[in-house]
Amino acid sequence: MLYREAGQYKTSYSADQAMLTIPLDRWFVFALTAFAIIGVPLLASEYLMGSILIPVLILSIAALGLNILTGYCGQLSLGTGAFMAAGAYLAYKIATNIVWLPIWVVIPLAGLCAAAIGIAFGLPSLRIKGFYLAVATLAAQFFLLWLFVKVPWFVNDSISGVPPAPPRSVFGFQVTGAAAGNEAKYLFVLAFVIALAWIARNLARSRIGRSWMAIRDMDIAAELVGIRPLPTKLSAFAISSFFCGVAGALWALCYINSVEPTAFDINRSFQVLFMVIVGGLGSVLGSFLGAAFIFLLPILLNSAPGWIGYSVASDTITHIEFMLFGVLIIFFLIVEPHGLARLWQIAKEKLRLWPFPY
Amino acid sequence: MSRPGDILLSVKDISLRFGGVRALTDVSFDIHEGEIFAIIGPNGAGKSSMLNCINGFYHPQDGTITFKGEERRQMRPHEAAAQGISRTFQNIALFKGMTTLENVMTGRMLKMRASFVEQAFYMLRGRQEEIAHREKVEEVIDFLEIQSIRKTPVGRLPYGLQKRVELARALAAEPQLLLLDEPMAGMNVEEKEDMCRFVLSTNHELGTTIALIEHDMGVVMDLSDRVVVLDYGKKLAEGTPDEVRGNQDVIDAYLGVSHD
Repeated sequence: MLYREAGQYKTSYSADQAMLTIPLDRWFVFALTAFAIIGVPLLASEYLMGSILIPVLILSIAALGLNILTGYCGQLSLGTGAFMAAGAYLAYKIATNIVWLPIWVVIPLAGLCAAAIGIAFGLPSLRIKGFYLAVATLAAQFFLLWLFVKVPWFVNDSISGVPPAPPRSVFGFQVTGAAAGNEAKYLFVLAFVIALAWIARNLARSRIGRSWMAIRDMDIAAELVGIRPLPTKLSAFAISSFFCGVAGALWALCYINSVEPTAFDINRSFQVLFMVIVGGLGSVLGSFLGAAFIFLLPILLNSAPGWIGYSVASDTITHIEFMLFGVLIIFFLIVEPHGLARLWQIAKEKLRLWPFPY
Repeated sequence: MSRPGDILLSVKDISLRFGGVRALTDVSFDIHEGEIFAIIGPNGAGKSSMLNCINGFYHPQDGTITFKGEERRQMRPHEAAAQGISRTFQNIALFKGMTTLENVMTGRMLKMRASFVEQAFYMLRGRQEEIAHREKVEEVIDFLEIQSIRKTPVGRLPYGLQKRVELARALAAEPQLLLLDEPMAGMNVEEKEDMCRFVLSTNHELGTTIALIEHDMGVVMDLSDRVVVLDYGKKLAEGTPDEVRGNQDVIDAYLGVSHD
């Protein structure tokens, strides 16, 4: 076997605490990143990039965000769509009102605004837990979306209420709006994905990540070791909403090319929640796996009958989709709450010894 | 074995009521620096409530608690932790989804100063602190002999080891006062012996003052420098193990007499 963990001795704590402790893992991730940056824009078709990779990457950011809140900190949230909408609307507002501000500053700024909103809606989390907190975040979902639709200020009094994304460029390449090329958009989104995934991993292995997990696993004991519950929960809400806000801004500006409320309705919140559940709670890798899985499954279902020369009515496919998702969610909740990421880990552990049982 | 030091913690006339239930009534005692102090008594005597008061989980209606010469009122558990009080629980309170190492690292939580940005980018203090505190944590791991389970999620560990990890987490905070709520409960003889050894070496080598609740009288009498006996929320007796063992009230209420 080429891939093995045995004999890979770490001689310093810094090596033992590295993000990827096994050299082969490290090379694999480097190679994958390099391929995503260089190879994909050269090789992938317009359709693959524009309609699959870009949305999957953006949704992985949202899934990362929700995973920080739900997976790491244990606070159930159904407000993901609303926080994404906050990012989208505020990114539009900032981009159109402060025209000179570069777009790569606008989007994190919109994320910060979403973070502030997230903190406000996270305040009840000190008092309420579990399902009740989920309902409180559901209030955020409906209230914020209502607010963005009702107050024309957010869309600069646009008559249709669905303004197109303002065209903005980075290094001379247009990255937002309908006229932008898919390669430029893809690379722009990818830059955010890489940076945010790296930050998420760093946070997860630092003090702040441990305090989130401590609150998740046992809040009384967490208080005992000196973790203050409110700031810790609010920091999770803030960072989660920041990620969701960035994802929402990218979704509106780089993917659907317009700012519209229907893109961020309750279904989006559930979609991202499913991604986190299927992908794996409390795992950065799981957020990516979940996002890809949940987004690609319907596409696969739609095109698979065609490949084998068989045609199924599209409404039947939609029904199958609903059933399949239902079954999958129940399956993962019961059998493997840690999702695809855990299955991957188990597969690795089994393969390490294969073909011997132990 | 007795090494009387200055008074570290002074509990004065503590009364704690839950509605009409009087959990503690006018309990006073002092814990001296460097001693092992045991709180014993029958079930429901208020022993754990006493620890919860010291620790800030409960706020007694009357009385004062003075720690390091400072009187405190209405203290929250994280503030007690910041002052140097750590504790373990009767029924283990570990973070089950985290590894042993991560659990013990949480014990260093209050000593870490890295800002959010430094942590997000794992640079400067964010990185230095992780490594520096890891070294301290490894000392505790060596001390308690749990090297082999470093990377195991604690939920998968057997009970005796979980108790030990919990002690490790408490020790990682380098407390001045360590509260142990039934550290030997549910253990077999060997595990108890190990735990006794760890409690003693914590006290001797690290100089930590320890207040413990325990039902195993052999353990209590061997380990502790002084013992206080509670019954129905009231203090029955206080003194060295021998004094307490000879006290008629204590024999009647708790210890009993052997019929052989």
